[in-house]
Amino acid sequence: MSIQEDTKEKADTIEDPVFFVDRPWVTIVWDDPVNLMSYVTYVFMTVFEYSKERAETLMLQVHNEGRAVVSSGRREEMERDVQRLHEYGLWATLQRDDQ
Amino acid sequence: MTTNSGFSRHGKNSFIAHFGQQERDVLVNLSEQLVEILAERIDGQPTDPLEAMIGFTGHDSPPDDEVLLRLLPNAYADPVDSSEFRRYTESVLREKKRMNAMAIRSHLLNSDKTEVALDHQTAQAWLGGMNDIRLALGVRLNVEANSHEQLELLSPDDPMRGVYAVYSWLGWLQGTLVDSLMDDVEG
Repeated sequence: MSIQEDTKEKADTIEDPVFFVDRPWVTIVWDDPVNLMSYVTYVFMTVFEYSKERAETLMLQVHNEGRAVVSSGRREEMERDVQRLHEYGLWATLQRDDQ
Repeated sequence: MTTNSGFSRHGKNSFIAHFGQQERDVLVNLSEQLVEILAERIDGQPTDPLEAMIGFTGHDSPPDDEVLLRLLPNAYADPVDSSEFRRYTESVLREKKRMNAMAIRSHLLNSDKTEVALDHQTAQAWLGGMNDIRLALGVRLNVEANSHEQLELLSPDDPMRGVYAVYSWLGWLQGTLVDSLMDDVEG
């Protein structure tokens, strides 16, 4: 999937620069009763280099609403984000942005 | 179980905690268990060198075991996308988690003092490893369904009571390391 998609999406971007603007994929973090709130904040700051304020807002959104979109971009970028979040033990998935 | 004060920062790149013998033994033991659980997925290694080179793990279906599924979760809701992703990435994720657990174990076994001093890089491995151990214990304790209050009230002869004590202690310990590391990313 990854290798083929890479090629396909690169081809798309050349033909259609708007592809970047559309940002059609999102990484979602789901609420988890185990992970510490401070740890989740720290992971967002480390993985995405978000400010503490932004990271805390996202952490609270995960905690209160059950999920939060933490990043968006091209599919292979979101796969990298999900992989890194899984390394830290966060429960993350990616999907096409349907908002 | 109690540690004096958990992890605290000393200078720019040193994070120190003091462990009693019992705490050290528990953490070594749990790290070893984590390595063993992860090893259950290492069967079916590729024999084809090309498959090995591109990281094909032989696993494209999610683990049956609940603990392994939490440690190595699906990346997509869609099962087809999920297994494709897993086929190319699970071995990398598993190795990262194994290395984190091994870092905790070897660090504790190789220091003959009660003091554990981590640099920034080792601290990352400890954070990930402690979190994975807590995730595994959390599945065993079924924290999804059992509230904190319910787990506090486990009877003294319930074997889960000891598990919950370790789980709580480790959460507290991990929290002290997060707090001492927070300055790095804030600055």
